[in-house]
Amino acid sequence: MRKLRTFMFIMSLVCLCLAGMPYLTTAVHAEPASVKTYQIGTDVTFAPFEFEDENGKFVGIDMDLMDAIAKDQNFKYVIKPLGFNAAVQALEANQVDGVIAGMSITDERKAKFDFSEPYFDSGVVMAVRKGQNEVKSYDDLKGKKVAVKTGTEGYRFAESISAKIGFTIVPFDDSAQMYEDVKTGNSVACFDDFPVLAYGVNQNNGLEIVTPKEKGASYGFAVSKGKNQELLQKFNAGLANLKASGEYDKITAKYLGENAAGPANQSRIGLMLSSLPSLLKGLGYTVMYAIISLFFAFILGLIFGFMKVGRNKWLRGIATVFVDLFRGIPLIVLAFFIYFGIPQAFGFTMPLFLAVILTLSLNAGAYVTEIIRGGIQSIDRGQMEAARSLGLPYRKAMTKIIIPQAIRIMIPAFINQLVITLKDTSILSVIGLVELTQSGKIVIARTFASFDIWLEVAILYLIVITVLTKISSRLERKVTRHG
Amino acid sequence: MGKVRVEGLKKSFGANQVLKGIDMQVQEGEVVCVIGPSGSGKSTFLRCLNRLEDITEGTVIVDNFDINDPKTDINKVRENIGMVFQHFNLFPHFSVLKNIMFAPMELGKQSAEEARSTALRLLEQVGLKDKADAYPSMLSGGQKQRVAIARALAMNPDIMLFDEPTSALDPEMVGEVLGVMNDLAHKGMTMVIVTHEMGFAREVADRVIFMDGGYIVEEGTPEQVFGSPKNERTISFLEKVL
Repeated sequence: MRKLRTFMFIMSLVCLCLAGMPYLTTAVHAEPASVKTYQIGTDVTFAPFEFEDENGKFVGIDMDLMDAIAKDQNFKYVIKPLGFNAAVQALEANQVDGVIAGMSITDERKAKFDFSEPYFDSGVVMAVRKGQNEVKSYDDLKGKKVAVKTGTEGYRFAESISAKIGFTIVPFDDSAQMYEDVKTGNSVACFDDFPVLAYGVNQNNGLEIVTPKEKGASYGFAVSKGKNQELLQKFNAGLANLKASGEYDKITAKYLGENAAGPANQSRIGLMLSSLPSLLKGLGYTVMYAIISLFFAFILGLIFGFMKVGRNKWLRGIATVFVDLFRGIPLIVLAFFIYFGIPQAFGFTMPLFLAVILTLSLNAGAYVTEIIRGGIQSIDRGQMEAARSLGLPYRKAMTKIIIPQAIRIMIPAFINQLVITLKDTSILSVIGLVELTQSGKIVIARTFASFDIWLEVAILYLIVITVLTKISSRLERKVTRHG
Repeated sequence: MGKVRVEGLKKSFGANQVLKGIDMQVQEGEVVCVIGPSGSGKSTFLRCLNRLEDITEGTVIVDNFDINDPKTDINKVRENIGMVFQHFNLFPHFSVLKNIMFAPMELGKQSAEEARSTALRLLEQVGLKDKADAYPSMLSGGQKQRVAIARALAMNPDIMLFDEPTSALDPEMVGEVLGVMNDLAHKGMTMVIVTHEMGFAREVADRVIFMDGGYIVEEGTPEQVFGSPKNERTISFLEKVL
């Protein structure tokens, strides 16, 4: 009976993994199928240049331009929404072929990247909370906090005047968070590129623009220095054609013109319901990656856990190093190292799903190793002695007597690790994994409805974790009925 | 030729020398009780007989196998040496029946049917036939120890080692375990018993060994050791416990 239950448990895990497979295979299909398909990195939340619409499709000036240029020049590409910083790092690490992300052409960046002809002239403006009268000009910022997005022109501009005027810079990774910070009053103002802020104001993001446009740099499409020159040429040629045909003006007018679409008129409940499909898709990835990673973490944990309780001091040493290493490195650093660091050092492209599974498996593997070691060592020494005194070899005593008892002790710790890994998946959004948290960010970038969407995201996490915990404790009760 | 031969046995745990040179023999069918104050090395000595402890110096020969010789298959030798522990060490995840059937089946000694009938016969012998399907957690201490004895007997050993088998029991349960051991002795089993039950030792033992400070201080028949002890340490120990 017990064997049957163990079998059922393993089968249900396998089924869960298989249920996740369609997602995995779509992820794989998004990887280059042939050499002609370019990988284009972009930001996740940079309306009106790139953002997800209600149907979960990436739209915006950059996206429409890329689409039109690719059609004009007849090449294939896939968009990889990574977030701005991650996209730039991915380009440096040759994880993508090009980046289009409303990226300003600066001398600093020209040292590392080759830029196309400028495709958009931008400029920094300052925005404050709508309806406030305190801050009207740069001088009013004295002693206050100002929100900016890292790596942007707005950041550069804020930095250049912060010392003179005397305000503190609060850095953020995406526009939506920066706007929230101003809306909630933590920061009094933010700096961002004019088209971005103008679009946000247009969508009722709760801010208003109070300064004229600073003369700023222009946006360009970037490739790694000396690489993918044919892609750069195609982009330039296509851009020139679009400008000549008038299509370029149509695209910019679609998002910035007088007749640009305003905010969708939706109730809060309606918005939450309409966001649900894309959040559920993100949740699917969260669960799938957590389960696949835990599967590998379990294998790693078994190997290193037994090395740790074994009698060979070399194997014990190796296992100890493994645990110390991967338990000691913060997950976010490990993710960056695996996804950006290793490919850059060794000159190859690491698929995102592989980086995610590696990161989570190695991290959770270190903890599972300790769970297994602790479980085995918690079994009374007399059990091993009784088994050995009957003439059973070490291995048999271990597999038939010690491990079955140890597993019962380990189950609560495994459940705990499952919950931790499930939540840790959200950290992988920094390398562009669109799981539940990132899906939430993307929806907020479009709708600016922080409270409602984060509430929805939190509830989804709670539901899944509660369900998994309940299933696991049922299993625990069954397994520990005796003893 | 003794069934068990121990020569110059020394055992240290780090800097702490627990056995300081033990020489003794056990003959086939003999029941030897080892008594002595706690910390005298009795249990360590017993555990050296089936290599649950690796010895530091000397030789231990059981059934003509030098059990510390790397060429000796210790698992094979152990199959012939049953051991009963102070804390029973039953396998909590197995039923009583499975506890007894497990080793003979796992080691290919008996088929499932054979193991089952052996187990039931042994359970009858220790008076627990009705507990076959119970789990160890449902048994009293005395019942657990009787199952543990049955488990050790299931491998059909030549020698049985008992490491303070009644020390962890409530007083009213000591009798039932000693009764089973007494039966076993009468059937001619070779037994080495570390015990604090002086009455039992006096009644059942062919020979009594008194250990103190890592040495065998005195040995002889129960009449000699209990009736007219010669060594001062034996005398003072017996004064305290009797």
